[in-house]
Amino acid sequence: MNKNGLKLPLRKQILNILSEVLSQGLNYLIILVLGLAIGAVVIWLSDLDPVAAYTSLWKGAFGNVYKTADTLDRSTVLILSGLAAAVAYRTNVFNLGLEGQLYVGGMAAAMVGFLVQGLPSAIHVPLCLLAGVLAGALWTIPVIYFRIKWNIPVMVPTLMLNYIGILLTQYLAVFKFNDPTSGMIGTPKLLDSARLMKFLPGSTINIGFIIAIVMVFVVYWFMFKTRTGYELRIVGFNPSFAAASGMPVNRSIFLAMLISGGLVGLGGATIIMGFFGRFITSFSPGYGWDGMMISLLAQNHPIGVLPASIFYAALANGALTMQSQTGVPQAVVGMVKGSIMFFVTAQLFLNYFRGRMRKWKLTSAE
Amino acid sequence: MEIDLRGIITVSLIAATLRMTTPVLLATMGGIFSSQTGIFHVGLEGLMDIGAFFAVVGSVATGSPWGGLLYAFVACTIASLIFAVIHLELGANEIIVGLALNIFAIGMTKYLLVEILGNAGYYQSPLIKGFSPVDIPIIKDIPILNEILSGHFPLVYIAFLLVIVVYLVLYKTPFGFHLRTVGEKVEAAQAIGISPKRIKYIGLIIAGIFCAMGGTFLSLSYLNLFSENMTAGRGWVALAAINFGLGRPIPGLIACLIFGFADALALRLQQFDLPSQVVLMLPYITTLLVLAAAAIRQETRKRRAGRLKAEQEKAAASA
Amino acid sequence: MRLRHKMAEAISVKNICKEFPGVKANQDVSLSIEKGEIRAIIGENGAGKTTLMNILYGLYHPDSGSIFIKGEEVKFHNARAAMAHGIGMVHQHFKLVPSFTLGQNIVLGVEPKKAFFVDNKNVNESVKALSEKYRLPIDPEKLTLEASVGEQQRAEILKALYRGADILILDEPTAVLTDMETEELFVMLRGLAQHGKTILFISHKLREVLAISDNTTVMRLGKVIGTVKTSETDTCQLAEMMIGRETEGGRMREDNVTPGETVLEVKGISVRDERTLLAVRNASFEMKSGEILGIAGVDGNGQEELIEAIIGLRPVVGGEILVNGKNITQKSTRQIRESGVSYIPSDRYKSGVAVDAHVWENLIAVDYFKSSLSSLFLLHVRNINQLADNIIERFNVVTPNSKTQTGHLSGGNIQRLIVGRELGSERATVVIASQPTRGIDIAGTEAIRQNLVDYAKRGAGVLLISADLDEILTLSDRVIVLYEGEVFDAGKYDDKIRKRVGDYMTGLHEEGCEL
Repeated sequence: MNKNGLKLPLRKQILNILSEVLSQGLNYLIILVLGLAIGAVVIWLSDLDPVAAYTSLWKGAFGNVYKTADTLDRSTVLILSGLAAAVAYRTNVFNLGLEGQLYVGGMAAAMVGFLVQGLPSAIHVPLCLLAGVLAGALWTIPVIYFRIKWNIPVMVPTLMLNYIGILLTQYLAVFKFNDPTSGMIGTPKLLDSARLMKFLPGSTINIGFIIAIVMVFVVYWFMFKTRTGYELRIVGFNPSFAAASGMPVNRSIFLAMLISGGLVGLGGATIIMGFFGRFITSFSPGYGWDGMMISLLAQNHPIGVLPASIFYAALANGALTMQSQTGVPQAVVGMVKGSIMFFVTAQLFLNYFRGRMRKWKLTSAE
Repeated sequence: MEIDLRGIITVSLIAATLRMTTPVLLATMGGIFSSQTGIFHVGLEGLMDIGAFFAVVGSVATGSPWGGLLYAFVACTIASLIFAVIHLELGANEIIVGLALNIFAIGMTKYLLVEILGNAGYYQSPLIKGFSPVDIPIIKDIPILNEILSGHFPLVYIAFLLVIVVYLVLYKTPFGFHLRTVGEKVEAAQAIGISPKRIKYIGLIIAGIFCAMGGTFLSLSYLNLFSENMTAGRGWVALAAINFGLGRPIPGLIACLIFGFADALALRLQQFDLPSQVVLMLPYITTLLVLAAAAIRQETRKRRAGRLKAEQEKAAASA
Repeated sequence: MRLRHKMAEAISVKNICKEFPGVKANQDVSLSIEKGEIRAIIGENGAGKTTLMNILYGLYHPDSGSIFIKGEEVKFHNARAAMAHGIGMVHQHFKLVPSFTLGQNIVLGVEPKKAFFVDNKNVNESVKALSEKYRLPIDPEKLTLEASVGEQQRAEILKALYRGADILILDEPTAVLTDMETEELFVMLRGLAQHGKTILFISHKLREVLAISDNTTVMRLGKVIGTVKTSETDTCQLAEMMIGRETEGGRMREDNVTPGETVLEVKGISVRDERTLLAVRNASFEMKSGEILGIAGVDGNGQEELIEAIIGLRPVVGGEILVNGKNITQKSTRQIRESGVSYIPSDRYKSGVAVDAHVWENLIAVDYFKSSLSSLFLLHVRNINQLADNIIERFNVVTPNSKTQTGHLSGGNIQRLIVGRELGSERATVVIASQPTRGIDIAGTEAIRQNLVDYAKRGAGVLLISADLDEILTLSDRVIVLYEGEVFDAGKYDDKIRKRVGDYMTGLHEEGCEL
């Protein structure tokens, strides 16, 4: 410890940063490993071979280039959902409405995709994506209004708008814009000019994944390298302090919600424009909620969202193979996910407890 | 398009409403206890899932639906205790723990479905002994009324009766006063020597027991089976109902009835190929409006109190 | 004439000592109070009266010493034990559930039952009976949130009496009452004393203490200075006992500071507190550049609300605030700070820092949006690091580097960080420093005081709010006192100022006493 607070030599600084990244990354890794371990125990208890199970899980997710690409494609919407959650939670805004915002974003992109004709791809695609972003963001406006005008905490309104969003888009897909010719209930197909370009024949992966990766860095940049991102984070750390320092607290909350809705709306858009090609009711088996878990797992850090999303996507993709090859039911994956959640809560408890210990030590020493 | 309202609004719709209200109502009433202690319980969904599953297991094991109910009670109590310990002793955020509970419940029941009951996706078997409908003497012979009130499964009657019980316990018993004190002004409880932690434990366990009943109704009454995602979001609806009534049982009942009615009506509309989504949306929109109304009322009350104080001070100063 | 018979003693303490880390809250405190006596315990902030009352009520355990009730030694493990021995406490901030009726609040925890249910009729009847017996008028069926402050206080008293309290402890009971309500309270207290109840009450308002108490115990710095019979003393003597004659610590200001232009003008502002009462009434004062203006006063007389209003965290009801001639009333905190105001808040963990953030993130919290530190899409990291290192060095913040998590720093260093941030940019012409050295070690206290003095020397005005009278007198050129939300000017520093301040702090607003 350098008592005078003078600048430490560069090497020491790098070591400091590395050690912090390493310890956080280690935490994160331990939780994943523990979750998988529980899964392994469960598999073993039912007289099946965990090693074989996990091997086929791995093969199913990353076995060859095409499978890997498919896994990455699946992670696209998870990445965007996770980023949406991360931005909101860093600002201490508990957005529970990601699922509804996802649906609304997907529907908006679909509508622009099949209603607007005669545009070249270079314009149509960004237009649809924009529609998804705007729809997701606008869907958070009622919540923001409730919060800022009447101080109603965002949790319940976002929850309510979940259902309203899902039902609204369902209505539009079943009654207003239904395409009766296809097997699944949904809207007409998006025009080709609105589809996201695939880049690996044999896999469904498309430029949506690239967009998601780019957004990881954009969000990282925004939260940690810009002044507005700094404001959001300080408001998230301590709103009273932010207010006393003159920061615009309400505006930050407003912005965090909008960005959150916009990001997950973008996620909805990419999956509709990419994988599905049309808006299908119930296209999401809970991607919004997954995003929440992913963000918590990644300690709400945008870069950490990336590996966490890929991990979740791998679990989902590999599970099917695992079941068909080794007979281990897909449900084990659900238990792994659940265990991870429990460990994440314990982890958060550790941080909270450590923080409390410190505060207690500080205040009692004075 | 001709809509024959008479085909939609029938007496059986009211009966269906009561039926569809029941599971949510049970979860809501249970959740009210934990809500009144100041806990935002998002794990109701997971608890109902666990209740529905273990009710089937218990019914097969004991050969009786009441045995199933017992198994559900035990399972949900254990789950609630785990929630309680992680939240109250370890200090973890209640929302995250609640979500973890939901996810874990879904995964666990899915898995145990295969392991214990041997089937994937759903399990149906003559071994499952469900409840039988109950005919209430005298009423069962009165036309119209008999269709609405008689012939329901026992848990329907229990659910509605429990509303009265919950009301009485919350507002007329010492325990209810202590519970509400912890949720409303915890310093008052501490000053009297009431342990807020103990009260919260009790609140969470009660919520678990009620959710067990709600889940049991789903799997052992109308349909004697367990299927994945049987609860279909009812736990979340219960949370909305609790917030609709701001934690109070009677408005909570009304919210549940609105949800139940919307559910029943939506089903009916689907049979006629009419958009049910609009109807289904209404309860959620109503919850939002009620929240806004409650907030506005608080604001105006505060402002009125401020003006009143200002007048009092002026009067005192000039006196 | 009262017999000093051991049998008539209701409660006494002998040699009570209680220490908290760094603070000797009670040092060898001994008191004896008789049955039916009304005893006032007075003292300024930090005198130890609240600690003593908490010990009597079982909320704290004394490090040593004993408590006797009716001559027998007792030990309280918790509040319940104290209540069982007949001690009831009426807190300054009521502990009543707003949605219950007054009656339900009074019986909370000991509700009369009929089968499983609360016997509501019994509640109302027994509360009414109690209310009539002790002449504390109350409507048991009234909703607490609709009751007046006086009614709520009576409910708190009845709460204790319902549990059979013989000894009532009241903590600053008149803080929330109007003059008329105070009168009513005193009538009720006298009635209770006549019923044989023993009453202890904490206050800093000397005129009221003289009006109601039989005896007065004065505490200062954890010790009992003395107990006097109220009828044989006067406000002057009590005030002097309360605040002492000597100021601890040397004077840190020169005697002939020539103030410059007016930097802060507060004109007739009023501020509401959480209960929508007026915490500050029609306050007016001025501060000039180069001077340190101290705001003295017992905690809870409106100091916090006043400075929160000045910094824009609380709305102002009427009046104006001007900084350097510019009207900043009702402006946002950002705008107020941009007009040249800095703020060192009293609750540093709540409003002074974000403990989970890095040190540099806390250091730029006020100025981060300036073009040197950031542009719209980029934080200028090099400039930020430079600024951070600069402040860390100048203000001796002990930290490994600027990227350390702020919570890892000691309390003293966190305060240095805050002072560094607020004073470091040297742009502020008005510095609001609220309890700047509370809970800080000696070295840190010296350093922070010196920072403030130096900063004033460079031409700013420093508004110093402190509960520590010695600190006020060590640093201030002029002193004003807040009492019940009103401002009283104790004038420039001279050798009689301690007396003047003490008089205002305790509610004596006429000319002082003879020396």
